[in-house]
Amino acid sequence: MPNRRNFFRLGAVGLVNLFALALAVPGLKYLLDPLGKRSGSGDFRKLARLGQLKIGEPQAFAILAERRDAWVKYPTEPVGSVWLVRQPEGSPEPVLAFTAECPHLGCPVNLAPDRKTFLCPCHQAAFGFDGKKLNDVPPRGMDRLPVELSTEADPEVAVKFERFQPQTAEKKPLA
Amino acid sequence: MLKTLTDWLDDRTGLPGLTRRVLDRPIPGGARWGHAVGFALASTIVVDLVTGLLLMTTYSPSSSTAWGSVYYITYQVDLGWFVRGLHRYASFASVILGGLFLVRLVLVGAYRAPREVHWWLAVATFLLILGAGVSGNILPWDQRGYWAAMVETSITGTTPVVGPTLKKLIIGGSTFGNLTVTRIYGAHVALLPGLLILCGWAYAVLFGKHGYHGSEKSKPTEPYWPRQAFFDFALSSAILGVLSGLTVFTHGYSLDAPADPSSDDYPARPEWYFLPLNLLLHVFEGREFIATQIIPGGVVAGLLFLPLLAKILPKKLGDVAASSFVVTLFGAASVLIGVAFYRDSVSEPFHQARARADRAAERATLLATRDGIAPAGASYLLSLDPLTRGHELFTKKCLGCHSLGDRKPEESSASNLKGYGSVAWVRGLLEKPDSVDYFGKTPDCGGMQTWKESSKLTARELDAVASFVAGFAVIPEELTPGNWLIDPKVKEHPGFEPYKRECAECHTLGDPAKGKMEPAPDLFAWGSDRWTARMIRTPGSTTHYGFLEAENAQKMPSFGGQLTEDDLRMLVKYIKGDYEQALPPAKSSGK
Repeated sequence: MPNRRNFFRLGAVGLVNLFALALAVPGLKYLLDPLGKRSGSGDFRKLARLGQLKIGEPQAFAILAERRDAWVKYPTEPVGSVWLVRQPEGSPEPVLAFTAECPHLGCPVNLAPDRKTFLCPCHQAAFGFDGKKLNDVPPRGMDRLPVELSTEADPEVAVKFERFQPQTAEKKPLA
Repeated sequence: MLKTLTDWLDDRTGLPGLTRRVLDRPIPGGARWGHAVGFALASTIVVDLVTGLLLMTTYSPSSSTAWGSVYYITYQVDLGWFVRGLHRYASFASVILGGLFLVRLVLVGAYRAPREVHWWLAVATFLLILGAGVSGNILPWDQRGYWAAMVETSITGTTPVVGPTLKKLIIGGSTFGNLTVTRIYGAHVALLPGLLILCGWAYAVLFGKHGYHGSEKSKPTEPYWPRQAFFDFALSSAILGVLSGLTVFTHGYSLDAPADPSSDDYPARPEWYFLPLNLLLHVFEGREFIATQIIPGGVVAGLLFLPLLAKILPKKLGDVAASSFVVTLFGAASVLIGVAFYRDSVSEPFHQARARADRAAERATLLATRDGIAPAGASYLLSLDPLTRGHELFTKKCLGCHSLGDRKPEESSASNLKGYGSVAWVRGLLEKPDSVDYFGKTPDCGGMQTWKESSKLTARELDAVASFVAGFAVIPEELTPGNWLIDPKVKEHPGFEPYKRECAECHTLGDPAKGKMEPAPDLFAWGSDRWTARMIRTPGSTTHYGFLEAENAQKMPSFGGQLTEDDLRMLVKYIKGDYEQALPPAKSSGK
């Protein structure tokens, strides 16, 4: 009875695949869950008054935030750091803000020992105070962050903290 | 081309040849559904291995993170509820199939020579499945897992000679701690599955040696492929279908409230397949070792002894004895499981305790979803929830005298604290101080009634005083009475003037005369968290009801030494109704 035999043969193959699919489909959906979770884009945070900043001298500020990580909510703590560089009077942008996360591999960028450039301690990526890269270690310059100034006489400097993908020539937000 | 590749692979690994030998394996008497039970058992174990690996990517084994990560799996991860539910239900199915497999091996006579080792491996597999189920039940570190672990490890500790050492080894110390979850986790994800896979592999090797068991040698044999393969896959797929359906239908497996070592009314039950032993524990009250040691030990010994029974007794008699043993064993277990479920289903106290546990679970889930879980761990979800912890403390410490909403004031011997701190509560006190809701049951606090009898304040003035006093609760902590009093908003309050006229004589406002016992509590910041906390901690302080101490009168006891700071905070917030009000709907079970 070739037909009967074929039925069992095809049936067996079909059932094995059905069984595997019934496990694989929900399993993959479960495994890929982190891809669907967006890192919440931050709000503007007030970091300093313009008067506190010295022209041409970068100053580091910690970004404090309540952090929710999977099921845990951490109390307010530093989640990152930004460099503020005040520009000379009359510049189109009074303050430049850079995230301290290096576009090379994500280490925290610091000042060079001579305090004239930015230098990443991990792989010696160097940047000018305008954020442009000074050697070919990093794929791009330091990442600028949006800055907002309040309207007072001595305005408050607020920065929107964001994260970007390392290793790309283009600045791409971290999804 | 394909043939060349197959030949090469066969030459180097022998795999294609092995596959062919498996597919062509002869089955005496032909393919049958009964032969598919073992394959189905293997398939549910595979389902558990796959879903278990997935859960391992999210689960975090420690007493402070276990509940949070299982909560995250169940309520936040895509299909997490499904993966976790399927893992649990597949383990249930493994227990059932493992039992059926053992029974079938005995009924067809596959437990005796030459298949004794087969049988022992099957018994070991069954025990490993039980062990995996018991350890997995503990891992969420919820109330269910915690109390099951408590009972199970305590029973382990009663084993003669090795018990106490074994218990200490399993839980990583004398009491539950950080090492408990990690050790049980290690056993659950590595040791037990490793041994299970080893047993499965050994079984497969032996199966290759002895082949299918068949007594009907006269009938023609049939190769495994394709009919028996179809039966195997069909039964496995059908079981997976049923388990998936069950998971969807029940929306996964529930998660109880985080483990709470201080809870005293959690209706602990073991996994359902241990209910027979749980029931026997009641039967052999006072001689519990019969249920915890002798019966389980005897059953395992009996199962291992079966192949030797066939050696001692004549073949027919041995088969009858062995068959009646396993059928009675699993039959009795099934009956006892039914009895245990029935006992619970008709037990009102069980329903009530279960309903409370369900409410706690829903409350914890609600708080975890709204606020996230503090880094210190999930146990703080409820112990820092005024509605849960405050209610518990109020019931234990305060309800003996005070009432609060759901208790009749007539049954109390002190004030009704429902609405304490509100304008309405103060207004009610000013209207009728000797009501049972206020000082009616505490004659030593008759000062207010004495005032009322001679008071000349109009209803409008009383309204103003009530709103004035109720406002004391929000006086900021850093404000001194002196600075507060010079605030124009205080002086211009319509209640200020009548208060000065009729209340201030007894009730000072943060300026009690030194060394003199005031005849009434100081009302500065009355109703605030700090005033109320002080009232609970030291009601006899000079600024509260110290005057009662002097007269040796009926008075509120001090709770200072009995409450931690956190507990005091929770109690105050509960009394004031200062908490997340949204209560999850209570489940319908019980009342």
